[in-house]
Amino acid sequence: MLKAENISYSYDDGTQALKNVNLDVEKGEMVSLLGKNGAGKSTLFLHFNGIYKADSGKIIIDGEELKHDKKSLMKFRQKVGIVFQNPDDQLFAPTVEEDVAFGPLNLGLSQEETQKRVADALKRVDMEGFERKAPHHLSGGQKKRVAIAGILAMQPQIMVLDEPTSGLDPKGASDILKLLYELNDEGMTIIISTHDVDLVPIYSSKVYVISSGEIIKSGTPKEVFGDIDLIRSANLRLPRVAHLFEILDKRDNFDLDGDYPLTISEARRLAVELHNH
Amino acid sequence: MKFDIDYIAHNNRLSDFNMYVKVIVAIGLMIITLILDNLTLDIIVFVLMAILVLGVARVSVKSYLKFLTIPIVFAVITCLFLIFFFGHGPLIYDTGLWGIGITQSSLDLGIKTFCRCFACFSCLGFLTLTTPIADILQCLHMVKVPVIFIDIALLMYNTIFIFLDQLDTMRNAQQTRLGYTGSKNTYKSLGMLFSNLFFRSLDKSETLQCSLDSRCYQGYLPVYKPKRGGK
Repeated sequence: MLKAENISYSYDDGTQALKNVNLDVEKGEMVSLLGKNGAGKSTLFLHFNGIYKADSGKIIIDGEELKHDKKSLMKFRQKVGIVFQNPDDQLFAPTVEEDVAFGPLNLGLSQEETQKRVADALKRVDMEGFERKAPHHLSGGQKKRVAIAGILAMQPQIMVLDEPTSGLDPKGASDILKLLYELNDEGMTIIISTHDVDLVPIYSSKVYVISSGEIIKSGTPKEVFGDIDLIRSANLRLPRVAHLFEILDKRDNFDLDGDYPLTISEARRLAVELHNH
Repeated sequence: MKFDIDYIAHNNRLSDFNMYVKVIVAIGLMIITLILDNLTLDIIVFVLMAILVLGVARVSVKSYLKFLTIPIVFAVITCLFLIFFFGHGPLIYDTGLWGIGITQSSLDLGIKTFCRCFACFSCLGFLTLTTPIADILQCLHMVKVPVIFIDIALLMYNTIFIFLDQLDTMRNAQQTRLGYTGSKNTYKSLGMLFSNLFFRSLDKSETLQCSLDSRCYQGYLPVYKPKRGGK
């Protein structure tokens, strides 16, 4: 559905931010882009809707290539909704409802249709009743929800979220991820960037690892986290559970053969199995 | 929590009351007090507004007084100046210094100006404390103020809060490292604070532009007319 082909990009000062990035996201997938700070995640995302123009390479959605003319940009920006890392960068209107209405109105929708979409979007993110509140009076998690609602109201086909859990408390973070998971379940294609390796394997169907502007690994969570050295070289780490089993394997002779559970439920199954033996 | 006019404007009993009525009442009374120039009317308007703000909208007395402090200080200074320097005719009180004193005419002028100033200010106060900025901007839209002004006002209004937040954080960070001990240090820290704020603001504005563009920003902010039940 969304394809990035050989995207290269350098900043004005000459630093190369992206090197030949290839990405392929299928419809209905939930894809994670893992990488340390400054690896190029945000920069890559802003290529998906044409905010940045790649030095070389193509962005293709449903077989159509992104061109940097007004019509094509409008179309891609409607199709690809980007939720920014810091909701303060995104929420600008004096009230929640006006902020959510911003996208749909820009698309030229009528007031009636916009009202409907605002109501639906706020309901979807559990923020009903906050319509008239000012964004700066909300908590971090609530702001994030409103930011997501603002994108949902444009009814994109792909939602791209830059570090959706950063700066949130554990409950807030897991609530947001649960919401994303539900949205994904309803058919929305989702791409998130994160370095929260504990949550990635629970939710993602596919993982890309990016380091210094290059995709260094891609595959299922199992495949990606199987390559422990590479994960560590990219300034990331294994999920805590996996790390525990790695230690059990290497130091306590659990004999797991490098195959570690990534989530609590996988670990539980394995533990029960080992116990029963 | 700090004294926050915006918070009060969103959370009082008149917040959701018809904004046009509020604007017309406030601006209308203000113009009337300005035109009629009547002492009794000034006082009536002031009392009326105080009743509306404190009694009907239920803004706390403390917040209201805090809100009035700054204009009171200004009004008092201005009127003292008027009372002592703008009179003619015989002195009714003489300070004995260079012939400066109070005359009947200057006293009248001072008191009148003070009351008028206060009546008008309480009208504005009523509007500010009971009406969220979004409503005020929408009213401006109604009277055909050019879109560009409204958009800029809106963006500025919202970035002010982010800006103040940043200012607060940075100042705390400086204070943590004893950045404000002594006047020399204070000047230096303030200088760094503001230059840093400037660059951060530039950065922020760029990100804001990206995020607006991501939602198909067309160069103007569209007006949303929400449906409201029972209003």
